[in-house]
Amino acid sequence: MRKPILFALLLITTITFAQKSVLIMNATAHIGNDSVIQNSIIGLKGGKIVLVADATTAKMDKAGYDEVIDATGKHVYPGIIAPNSTLGLTEIESVRATNDFRETGTTLPNVRSLIAYNTDSKIIPTVRSNGVLLAQITPRGGLVSGTSSVVVLDGWNWEDAAYKTDDGIHINWPTIQSRKFMDEDNIFPGPFEKNKDYIKQTELLKKLFADAKAYNETTQKEEANLRFEAMKGLFNGTQTLFIHSNTVKEMVEAINFTILNKISKVAIVGGKESWMITDLLKQNNISVVIARVHDLPTYPEDDIDLPYKLPYILHKAGILFCLNNEGDMEAMGARNLPFMAGTAAAYGLTKEQALKSITLNTAKILGIDKTTGSVEQGKDATIFISTGDALDMRSNNVERAFVKGNSIDLNDDQKALYEKYKTKYGIK
Amino acid sequence: MKKLILVLFAISASIVAKAQETFPVNGTANKNHTIYAFINAKIVVDADEVIENGTMVIKDGVISLVGTKINIPQGSVIVDLKGKTIYPGLIDAYSSYGMPETKKSQGGGYPQTESNTKGAYGWNQAIKPETDALKIFTKDSKSAEELRKLGFGAVLTFQKDGIVRGSGTIVTLGELRENELIVTDKAAALYSFDKGTSSQDYPSSLMGCMALLRQTYLDASWYKSDKTKKEINISLEAFNALQALPQIFETNDKLNVLRADKIGDEFKTNYIIKGSGNEYQRLDEIKASNCKFILPINFPLAYDVEDAYDANYVSLAELKHWEIAPANLSAFEKYFISFAITTSDLKDKKDFWKNLRKAISYGLSEKQALRSLTSTPAEMLNIGDKLGKLKSGMIANFIITSGNLFDEKTIIYENWIQGNNFKITDYNTIDVRGNYDFSYGTSINHQLKIEGDLEKLKATMITDTVKTPVNIIVSGYSISISFSTKDTTGSIRLSGNINSQPMKFNGKGQTSDGTWIDWNASYKDAFVSTAKKDTIKKTTAKYGQVIYPFTAFGKGDDRTEFEKIVADIKTRYDAVLIKHVTVWTNEAEGILKNQDVYITEGRIVRIADDISAPKLAFAKVIDGTGKHLTAGIIDEHSHIALSSVNEGTQASSAEVRMGDVINSEDINIYRQLSGGVTTSQLLHGSANPIGGQSAIIKLRWGKSPEEMKFEKADGFIKFALGENVKQSNWGDINTVRFPQSRMGVEQVYYDAFTRAKEYDAKQKAFGGLSEKAKANIAPIRRDLELEAVAEILNKKRFITCHSYVQSEINMLMHVGDSMGFKVNTFTHILEGYKVADKMKAHGAGASSFSDWWAYKMEVKDAIPYNAAVLTKMGVTTAINSDDAEMGRRLNQEAAKSIKYGGLTEEEALKLVTLNPAKLLHIDNRVGSIKVGKDADVVLWSDNPLSIYAKVEKTIIDGQVYFDNEEDAKLRVDIQKERARIIQKMLDEKKGGAPTQRPVMKRRQLFECDTMQEDYLEIAE
Repeated sequence: MRKPILFALLLITTITFAQKSVLIMNATAHIGNDSVIQNSIIGLKGGKIVLVADATTAKMDKAGYDEVIDATGKHVYPGIIAPNSTLGLTEIESVRATNDFRETGTTLPNVRSLIAYNTDSKIIPTVRSNGVLLAQITPRGGLVSGTSSVVVLDGWNWEDAAYKTDDGIHINWPTIQSRKFMDEDNIFPGPFEKNKDYIKQTELLKKLFADAKAYNETTQKEEANLRFEAMKGLFNGTQTLFIHSNTVKEMVEAINFTILNKISKVAIVGGKESWMITDLLKQNNISVVIARVHDLPTYPEDDIDLPYKLPYILHKAGILFCLNNEGDMEAMGARNLPFMAGTAAAYGLTKEQALKSITLNTAKILGIDKTTGSVEQGKDATIFISTGDALDMRSNNVERAFVKGNSIDLNDDQKALYEKYKTKYGIK
Repeated sequence: MKKLILVLFAISASIVAKAQETFPVNGTANKNHTIYAFINAKIVVDADEVIENGTMVIKDGVISLVGTKINIPQGSVIVDLKGKTIYPGLIDAYSSYGMPETKKSQGGGYPQTESNTKGAYGWNQAIKPETDALKIFTKDSKSAEELRKLGFGAVLTFQKDGIVRGSGTIVTLGELRENELIVTDKAAALYSFDKGTSSQDYPSSLMGCMALLRQTYLDASWYKSDKTKKEINISLEAFNALQALPQIFETNDKLNVLRADKIGDEFKTNYIIKGSGNEYQRLDEIKASNCKFILPINFPLAYDVEDAYDANYVSLAELKHWEIAPANLSAFEKYFISFAITTSDLKDKKDFWKNLRKAISYGLSEKQALRSLTSTPAEMLNIGDKLGKLKSGMIANFIITSGNLFDEKTIIYENWIQGNNFKITDYNTIDVRGNYDFSYGTSINHQLKIEGDLEKLKATMITDTVKTPVNIIVSGYSISISFSTKDTTGSIRLSGNINSQPMKFNGKGQTSDGTWIDWNASYKDAFVSTAKKDTIKKTTAKYGQVIYPFTAFGKGDDRTEFEKIVADIKTRYDAVLIKHVTVWTNEAEGILKNQDVYITEGRIVRIADDISAPKLAFAKVIDGTGKHLTAGIIDEHSHIALSSVNEGTQASSAEVRMGDVINSEDINIYRQLSGGVTTSQLLHGSANPIGGQSAIIKLRWGKSPEEMKFEKADGFIKFALGENVKQSNWGDINTVRFPQSRMGVEQVYYDAFTRAKEYDAKQKAFGGLSEKAKANIAPIRRDLELEAVAEILNKKRFITCHSYVQSEINMLMHVGDSMGFKVNTFTHILEGYKVADKMKAHGAGASSFSDWWAYKMEVKDAIPYNAAVLTKMGVTTAINSDDAEMGRRLNQEAAKSIKYGGLTEEEALKLVTLNPAKLLHIDNRVGSIKVGKDADVVLWSDNPLSIYAKVEKTIIDGQVYFDNEEDAKLRVDIQKERARIIQKMLDEKKGGAPTQRPVMKRRQLFECDTMQEDYLEIAE
């Protein structure tokens, strides 16, 4: 009983300013679609971007805005999107009571992450203060983990935050080789061995999809089935199927599975070995939510920079891809997503292509690119201003951020503790 | 059937031959002192002496005479061995022949702190010096026969269980009573790093095994010298008794050979090492160990690599090991390292000759092979006067063969053990091979063709042009054949006798309808082998080069010993001149633009505006225009390059040493070099309040573990506080080991330091006594655990303490202040910002993560501003990795403190260079770019704190250990080498060789929390 009280005491409410119209002047605008306007004017009104233009040629109407920001020497970016994230579903990884990202069971398409998304998570403010303003909240575990939703990282509750409800269903494609928990001497972890249940597990998936498809095609349902209902969007093209897989053989099987089931929107999540099957991915129009860039190669023989350059390899092959951060400390580590893009830029992509891989590309894969993902007229005013290059931790410094036109509070608990002790010690 | 009769005959014969004095006889006495004389034989006395056309006489199981001009004693049974060869019986110096099976006792999953062995034994269940193979040996006819067929006559056998395994005994493979089979009762002492069936928790790690072995040596020696004995300890007594014997140490990896040798050196023991087969991967160091070896000849099977995706699971090291493993023995021979050969690791003993011949085709000489199977093991085991050669006075263990023992066609006819004959193949079998005129019943004018090997005859009946296969069995002078023809239904079966001069068969037989008929066959002409005369494959097998380390991105070294020495001298004086580079000095000069840096003899010699390369030095000039040069990155907290990480089974494991378990073959060394890391502190894990002693290494990729160590660095030790040591996140079963709360942690420290203080005082007092006085009082037992803690009190060892929350940080500083020591470094220290003032006052440094938090309860208040606050408060602060992945981006982690807390760029870089150097007391050598310091520097493509910066070169001691251009070449080489070996494997599979399925083998990455690991991982 004491813990909830403690949390309640520490709770800092999200302060949302009454929405004002804003004109940002003279910033370097990184549009998110590869283009840059060196000296820009950007107008935000009614939650939308109403003006994006070159300051040297466009006419200005300062009077039409409540606030004018001089951003000379600064940079404007579209809000960064964290796909495949457990943000808001976990607070302290090792404390079971704070984890809400994994349900028990094997095939759970009807389990929805959105309703467990905690807008008051202490982690969220620390993530958005680096420019991450949207996230796809995603369940984990099982063969079919459940249904994700896209949220903006601002809101009083999950209803406020919801941006695209139930955008996709996530499956973990079984692995052909699985790791035993312990070896014969009871030492953890055990060796890899052939997954004896592989056929059984894939058959289970195949049956589920066949049954769900048939169920959703008939109007005469004998009994309602919540699981099948939840998958409706996969067959009518309104939902995306996210297949989590890293190894090549499994990906090939998974792709064939989606073709057989006529699922139109498919993304591979992970795809560490996707560089081996770029043709197949391209032919079938499958996008890749690339595994954490800041990772070690799988095999000792791999190029030491393979995870760093994977985005560039997929880019060259013409595949739609974006970056994600699944793995250890994934929720809190989402604030490092811009730097992963920075690394991708150091290893082949241009900086603007790298930016795209955490903004517009992500929006496309999540099906939200019509309204967000780039600094373009008519889209949501979900953008931020950094004093320097936001993809480099050396210069990333987010001064202002707007979510659907709302200027959001960039404070967090960590900053508060910092200030508290700076005061105690009398240091700057 | 025939064989069985022969064996039975041999058994009965042997029993009567040597009945024991003390045993009563059932029936009439049957004493037999027959003398056997083997004449006209080629006698291979040993690998270096052959007697052509010689005679050997044996009596009562002993060789009495060997030579050419021998007077055969009266009444001898004479055996004519014309055309045949006698070899000494083979010896296997490493077996568990006739030992009972061992079973791991089940602990039930709960922690077990004490030994399950009941009685007046030692404290640890894995130390079993009292095991005496002599007492548990029972003859095992089935296994004996298997080995006899291969030519073996005697083995060393012992119980393969535990770290100290007691004594082994040498037995022959005969069928006498056990009493008579023993050659040496206590022949050798046996050791390993494998705790075997012990269910006791300690030791759970490789360095724990090593520490336990050390302490056992010390305890035994203390026990021996303590005349006042207040306790009896069977184990220690037995251990002392073992020391006079040959000492054999089993290893399962080349690095463990070096580890065993290290312990041997400490206790003045030169072990005979039982190897694992991958020693060729570090043979220079192994040669330097001066150990003798017992080597297995099990070679890895080819992998099934037909599926290109699956083939990815097979590492370059596995591919190369498959290719080179058969050359391990010949590599030892070339290096003049003495070794015996054992069958012990063979899954199927029948592979012995096949594999040995393979080793010979990979360059092992036949002489050496013979020596390694006879005289070498005999001499190793101090029985050179009894076995291993054919000399008078030695035990009559020998084999009779059709010719050169190592030829594929050679047949072992008989294996004589202690003067008793065990027939393997009967050389008196009549050679019936040839072409015959053959008729049966009324059917005439057939040809019968008999060919094939003597043991496996093949026959065909030829009628005009029709060929009919015929089954044929020859037994003594009897022959039986059967066949079925097109014209008849069922088989025609014929039996008869052989008349050998001239060769002729005749007899009776039955047709399928039961009619009895006569048949005969008479010899027409000789059998001519149609099989191509084996162009005897004396061509030596070809294989790729050994790379150092033996993993991807290792490099080959084809140079001779002499060339290596010359190159070593030359590289010592290698010079590097980096021109026009931006130098981040980390000194008062700050960042200097457009500088030249001159490096030679491993040191930074000059930093100036313009240096022209001195004429005499062959300086390698690197253009640094637009690039940045920094001191090498130092990772204060790392777990890469380790074979084992946590000995968390006791609250204090101060006795374990990470320096014992450095793994030079870890690919992460290379990966971290590519991130500019030049020095790492390898720490014990954080499973217990007092962990193990740290190792500081330079990332000298390719060098051996010892060569990687940072020379003359101070000793450090890992301490840990909080959730890990109180086992908070280990599940409900782990609630036994003390401590379970932060309160208990404090007491662990007070207890350890109190005991260490008393111990130290006693040792010092004892050390101060005269030799005479020392002799008169009981000696003080050396305790490696307390000794390590006492070193902290004596300022000879320094603490790196894993810590998170302010209360515990405060606590340890209080313990330190009151017990008289300082905490050198708090590592992780995520709440350091809350007690920065206290840390400053105590004099502790900090080594932290940049932005980790929220992964467990104790890091709830972790903030990324921590490093900046600590720095601003004047605490020496570093950023560390504790993570193989982050370890190669430490420059980026440092850069985060510009963003979080506003450090300057110079301050930020120091977090991963100069500051950790200070924390490790090596800032006089590394950490900044200063004339006179070690040339450990990194050339970056960009500002080193930028996400866009890439390492172009990492230089340690003036030598380039990572070069991005060379890396690009290595990538191509790796693919080429893989492709080459994969093709070879595919050929092998096509040739019908068995293969194994590729299995994914990802190396486990160690972090602080990593508890147990398979340190016995084999390289294959």
